Amino acid sequence: MYYVEISGLSKRYGTTTVFEDIQLGLKKGEFVTLLGPSGCGKSTLLRCLAGLTEADQGQIRVDGQDITHLAPQKRGIGMVFQHYALFPNMTVAENIAFGLKMLKCPAEEMARRVAEVIRQVELSNKEHHYPHELSGGQRQRVALARALVVEPRILLLDEPLSALDARIRRSLREEIRDIQSRLGLTTVFVTHDQEEALTLSDRIFVMNQGRIVQEGSAETIYTQPATEFVARFMGSYNLLAPTEAKQLLGLDLKGHLAIRPESIQLSEPGRSYPAHFAPVAAIIRQHQLLGNIIRYHVEAQGTTLLIDHLNRSADDLLPTGTQIAVLIDRQQMREVH
Amino acid sequence: MRADRYHHLVVTLLILLLALPIVATLLYSLTQRWEASILPEGFTLAWYWQLWQDARFLTAFGHSLLVCVGTLLLSTVIIIPAAFVVFYRFPWLDRWMNIIILLPFAMPPVVASVGLLQVFAGGPLPLVGTPWILVGCYFTIALPFMYRALANSLLALNVRDLMDAAYLLGASTPRAFLSVILPNLRKGLMASLFLSFSFLLGEFVFANLLVGSRYETLQVYLYNMHNASGHFTSAVVMSYFLFTLVLTWFATRLGRQD
Repeated sequence: MYYVEISGLSKRYGTTTVFEDIQLGLKKGEFVTLLGPSGCGKSTLLRCLAGLTEADQGQIRVDGQDITHLAPQKRGIGMVFQHYALFPNMTVAENIAFGLKMLKCPAEEMARRVAEVIRQVELSNKEHHYPHELSGGQRQRVALARALVVEPRILLLDEPLSALDARIRRSLREEIRDIQSRLGLTTVFVTHDQEEALTLSDRIFVMNQGRIVQEGSAETIYTQPATEFVARFMGSYNLLAPTEAKQLLGLDLKGHLAIRPESIQLSEPGRSYPAHFAPVAAIIRQHQLLGNIIRYHVEAQGTTLLIDHLNRSADDLLPTGTQIAVLIDRQQMREVH
Repeated sequence: MRADRYHHLVVTLLILLLALPIVATLLYSLTQRWEASILPEGFTLAWYWQLWQDARFLTAFGHSLLVCVGTLLLSTVIIIPAAFVVFYRFPWLDRWMNIIILLPFAMPPVVASVGLLQVFAGGPLPLVGTPWILVGCYFTIALPFMYRALANSLLALNVRDLMDAAYLLGASTPRAFLSVILPNLRKGLMASLFLSFSFLLGEFVFANLLVGSRYETLQVYLYNMHNASGHFTSAVVMSYFLFTLVLTWFATRLGRQD
């Protein structure tokens, strides 16, 4: 029995289907991510959950209660928007207190709860600032505090980090996760960034063209992509066409062969490898330094493969044009359709 | 440096050119006689004294204020909700609104007046000669100023997200509009109100053709007094000008406050 249950949910605009027959379940306290490219319907799905957009078909239940047609005011759902949506005419404290005011919370309790949540998001001393006086990261913390202070049943995060720069994004991401797990808050996070999804989520729902194409833990989604789309979307998978797979590894496949760049190794002289590693002769075409990883682009029988190699020492770097045997781990390969 | 001096010179000349008629009118309104000599013969405040004691002038000024304030109240009540609905619910309508608000300007006031006279001279709504026809007519003049100013404020606001955020925090539509949207429109609204006010206070064609002396406004009064002393009419013009100046200054100050 799930805490949040979405069943058979569909939404169309005219003849365009935004999403169709969505089945989704969330456990209480779970951090779930809807991951997909822009236009896949994930934000509209989130809006339907919030009650800001009416679904055409299907049902949404929270804690056993049917909320499909309930007004957003009555759902007990908090939401953080991509562009903050802070009220520009109100100070930080007034923004945060707005929801409590609507609940007719007594003044003393309101002040206490606002102060507490401001401390939680580390914005003390900023209570009397207006949103335009804050940085992007601070604004998004205010938005988070404003959503949290009313103690919602579910927290929805609609690409809350995408308007921020990389450094702030990383630190805020950790903070969000930290607060979420401390409060045990059921959370739905929408993003198109697979790294965010992988680092934050208990479970990920990958969406494409209005459908959920795969569901699972971050580990499952990353290592066992169910379709070619998921493999392509999750990162720099090597995707070999059936002919390439046949030529390189002698495999007869109908779909593409997905191989993660880190499951191919560069052979080291004098070292023996288990039988499930298939050796293939290759030549190094170029490399990219990604910090702790060196990404080699190698060519093997006309097929380009990406190989991620741990960057142990600058001496290990193989120059372009080096002939080398690469070892593909057969246990880590996956056929996808 | 030379370019700098040149720029200063151009700006100074421009200011002088713009100020010249105003200064001349001001001087003329403050002199006893200035007809046969190069320099005026004696200064006086008598014209202003006479003007501000003239009951007819005060009535005309009051009429103008009433018509203008009435128009702006009507405009505010109609245009703010209209602009909000356009931007919140039907953003595609903005394109059409931009055409509609310019329509009154496509027709010269004299031509429009002829049409209005025919429609409202008798029949079920005999409004000609009453201030009501001016209020309706001036509404169409204020519409583009106000709609555009409000549209710009609304565009900068991201209305949909703000309303959605307010809904999720428990606010009803009227509550969300009043506490979240309206306060942010103040600047744009004030600026457009004062701009429209200055414009409407100076309107003559509609006032003269549709109402005339039956409900004399400031501009019609000025026109009717054209046979009076030039010093006296200069005092009328300067009083009107100073009034508008103070209003504009006030509007700028309001606009600057955050």
